[in-house]
Parts: sequence; C-alpha cells; structure tokens
Amino acid sequence: MAFARSRSKLVWDIGSYVVLILLAFICIAPIIWTFLTSIKLEEDIVTRNMIYIPTRITFEHYVNLWNQSGYPVLVINSMITTSVTVLICMLTGTIAAYSFSRFHFRGRTQLMLAYLIVRMFPAVLMIVPLFIVMRQVGLLDSSVGLAVAYTSFLLPLFVWMLKGFFDAAPKELESAARIDGTTRLGAMFRIVIPIARNGLLATAVFVGIAAWNEYLFALMLTTSQGSRTWPVGLQLMVGEFQLPWGMLAAGGIISILPVIVLFALVQRAMVAGITAGAVKG
Amino acid sequence: MTSNPQSIMASSRPLSTWDRINPARYIGELSETRFWMYLLLLPSALLIMGVVIYPTLYGFQLSFREMRLNRPDLGTDWVLLKHYQRMLSDQIFWISLRNTAVWVTAAVIIEFSVGLIAALALNRNLPGTKVLAVFILLPFFLPNVVAGHMWALMLDPRLGVINDLLVKVGLLGGYKAWFADPSTAMAAAIIVEAWHSFPFFTLLLLAGLKGVPSDLYKAADIDGAGSISQLRLITLPMLKTVIAAAVILRVIGLVNSPDLLLILTSGGPGRSTQVLSLYAFQTAYKDFNFGYAGALSVIMFIFLMMFAWVYVRLSKVNQD
Repeated sequence: MAFARSRSKLVWDIGSYVVLILLAFICIAPIIWTFLTSIKLEEDIVTRNMIYIPTRITFEHYVNLWNQSGYPVLVINSMITTSVTVLICMLTGTIAAYSFSRFHFRGRTQLMLAYLIVRMFPAVLMIVPLFIVMRQVGLLDSSVGLAVAYTSFLLPLFVWMLKGFFDAAPKELESAARIDGTTRLGAMFRIVIPIARNGLLATAVFVGIAAWNEYLFALMLTTSQGSRTWPVGLQLMVGEFQLPWGMLAAGGIISILPVIVLFALVQRAMVAGITAGAVKG
Repeated sequence: MTSNPQSIMASSRPLSTWDRINPARYIGELSETRFWMYLLLLPSALLIMGVVIYPTLYGFQLSFREMRLNRPDLGTDWVLLKHYQRMLSDQIFWISLRNTAVWVTAAVIIEFSVGLIAALALNRNLPGTKVLAVFILLPFFLPNVVAGHMWALMLDPRLGVINDLLVKVGLLGGYKAWFADPSTAMAAAIIVEAWHSFPFFTLLLLAGLKGVPSDLYKAADIDGAGSISQLRLITLPMLKTVIAAAVILRVIGLVNSPDLLLILTSGGPGRSTQVLSLYAFQTAYKDFNFGYAGALSVIMFIFLMMFAWVYVRLSKVNQD
C-alpha cells in the first residue's frame, strides 16, 4: 500500500516536471527565436533552408533601428509617459490604498467596489471621449495627456494591489508610534510606508510595465513623433517598409529587455501582491 | 479637536516660527480629524471621476448623437436610437458579435485549462521549479505588440519556423499562411492570445491553491481517494471563488481589448477575426464615426454586465 502510494507520487512528480519544462519552453521559445532572428544576417532570415542557430552574427539590425527609425525618440517618449503614470499613481494611489487598508468608515466597501468596477468599462468607450476632451484642453498628443489617460485603468489596479501589501504590514509598530504621540500622518509616512516599501516598489513596477507596454490608448491619443510611444512606432514600421523582420525583432528585444529585467528582480513580491489583491477581491 | 491628546501636546511646547508655518504640522493636525480617511481618497477619487466616470458617461451620451470628426457638416445633433437601429441591420456587427463569442470562449477555455495544469504542477513545490515559474509567468508581462510580432514571425508563410517544423515532422504538406486564410486566422490568433494570457490563470489559481488546507488532502489520502478524485472533490470546489473571479476578469479583458487582433490581423482576412471591440475601435479610429463607435461600445458593455451578473449568480447557485 505504502509502496503503491510512493510510486504514484513519483509518477505525478515526473509528470509535473515534464509539464513545467514543456510549458517553460513554449513560453520562452518565441523570445529566443526573436532574439536569434535579430542577430541573423538579412539573407539568413529570408532563406529557403531555415537556419536555426545562426553561424554568422550581426548587430546591424540594432544599429539600423537606432540610427534610422527614430527609435531613441520613441523610447524616450515611452520613458516619460511611463514615469509620469507611475508618479501620478504613487502620489494619489498610495494614500488611497492606505486609507482603504487602515480605516473603517461609512461607504468604504462601496468605494472599494467602485474602484474595482471601473475596470469593467470598455477602453473603447473611454478612448473617444478622452480624445475629445484631451483635444479641448490641449493635452492631445502629449506625454502628460497620455499618462493621465493611462491612470484610468492603472490607478484602480495600483490601489487594489498596494492595499494588499498594506494589509499584510503589521499594525503593532504603528499603534506604538501613535501612543508615543505621532500623528496619523507621521505614522503613515514614517512607519507604514517604509514597512511596505517592497510592496510599493513591486506595485509601481507592475504599473510601470503596463504603461510601457500599452498600445491602444497610445495609438489613438498620440499623433506625432513628439509623444508617440515605442509600441505605436514599432507597429508603424510594419506599414512603412516591406516587413523588416530583423529590425522588428531587434526593436522587440530592446523594448522587452527592461520588462524582463524588472520582472525578474521584483517578480516574487509582485506575484504576491497580484495574488493577494485578487484572492481578497 | 482640542480634546485630542496630540493637539494638547503640540500646544504645550513653545512654537518656533518654523513650527507656525510648517505645512506638515497643519496636515498632521488635519490627519487627526474625522475626515482624514476621506481626504486621503480625494485625489484618486477626483482623478477617477475625471478620466473614467466622466468619459464613460460622455461616451453613453455620444451613442445617442451624431458625431463624425470627418463630417463636421452633419453637426452633433441628437439622433436618439439611430445608431442602435443601424446596428440591427449591420452585417459586420452580427459577424463581430459571433466572432467575439468564439474568441472569448475558446481563449478562456484554453487559458484556464493550461493555467490550471501549470498551477497544480507548480504547487507541488518540487526543487528547481521556482525558476520554471518565472519563465512560465513571463508572457503575461510582455507587450501585446511584441507578442504579436514574435508569433507573426514564427507563423510567417515564407520564413516561419513553425511552418518549417510542421513540414519536417510531416504534419503539413507545405508552408501555410495562417493569418491570411479565413479558416485558420481565428484559431492562430487564439493560440497567440492563449500563450500571452494563460499565466494570468496560473498566477491566480496558484494563490488559491496555497489557501487550501493540507489537512483535507491528508484526510483524503487516508480514505484512499486518488489524485483525480482529490482534484474533483477538494481542489476545484475550494477554488470556486478564485476561479469565478479569474474567469470574470479575463472575460472582461478579452471582450474589451482588441489590441492583439488589431496587431495580428486587423480583423481580416475578410471579417473572419473581426470582434466587437475591434469594430468599435476601427469605427472611431479609422472612420471617425464617434457616435456609432459609442453605441457599439455601450452594447458591448451591456453584454459584459449581463455576463458578469449571470456568471456570479450561477456560481452562487452551485455553491448552495
């Protein structure tokens, strides 16, 4: 009996490894293939006989992308938009998450639900009015305007995720500080936020990645090189040239590099935050 | 306020000039009032009102008006239900509706199944699987644009590696233009979408699995229940809330965001991958017909609300 059980466990263990290794391969294979394509010579990309491992390596696609396509400007625009989005979320969202986490007041549940439900509103329904309003106030085709539009779906997410981290932070230190005469303001900035700083960082990175990746709002709300972000610029290359696969691959790799690095650095805290928020929500 | 211990203490020591003008002191005092929690919420609430609530109401209103950016001569008059009536006889609307149903159903089923398998395997906490978890979760964090390009490259009719592999294995007679053939375009797009978003289910289900008490499994072991019946009788019922939340969030995402299809196919070939959100977006972005785009999104929103309501009710009924 015991032998049968341990053998069945072994079978499931082996099965788990097989499934996980297979899935992990499927998940990163497209990234590896894109990277390999980005360092192949043009004639090795478009060829009769598929070349799996390139024997000749070139970085000309990266050089071309950087020098000819205005990619640096796109990247800088994206950086500005992303930074402004994260800044707005941190300034307004941190205190909101703290309020939801630490106080019980009338209307709290309804308000929290409202912060959740606004995510159900179709992006397309908001994009048109945002376009009209942004045009009226002169924020159309500007990095700040785009960042403000991004807060429409990222701020509620930020508040919910960060609330989970604040909930997990112990309340004893805060109470002790309060007894010592610290104001609520002081307790929030000197005790609670420092304790939850890893969570705050993970939440900010999550929102930052989402803003960096966003495509639809950027397509509608930016119209020129002045504020266009890299996803829109990269997509435009498809129309401009005859599918320059090497350059597209190089652009893709450059653009996801910061995402991969940041995800690897904060993935544990970030995953904990997403799941905490989701399970409670 | 004066009965507050903090205020008394603050006033008991002499105030320097800096203390008098220091804004932190005033905000500190403000933080002791009854309104503090509402004050903390005010900035984010105002912002959400401005960028979500107001545009959404504006969008509802637009759906009853004429508004074409490229036809200013038409004005912006109220047209009541004209856009909604047009929808009834609009072939593309009905095709989009059907495609949306296929797109959402197929994607959710695949993403949930693969996500659950990955979560169950990861939850065994076998040595070395932490690294694999990072790889498995990664696609969810990658941009749609790059995910689309990577797969378009691999499925390319002339230089796609997947075509090459399938031909070499003998499953395919020759290279296939997956996204140019109406009979395979939707399936190919669903595969890309599933690759991109199945980690979302893994993430949430893994969190749910951590919350299932291990005593339940021990008791089942003693009773001699096999792994499959443990999954059916313990794991899935315990995960019911998480599954419901994950499915609703994913359906919202799939219905609302046309990004991936916009990048991969733009709704083509023909109308074979045209979904409602994409149709609404193109009506606004290409035709500048804001009124009709508004009406399409309103209908989409109503369908989504109905789905969420029915789904929540059904999962509650099952619980009783």
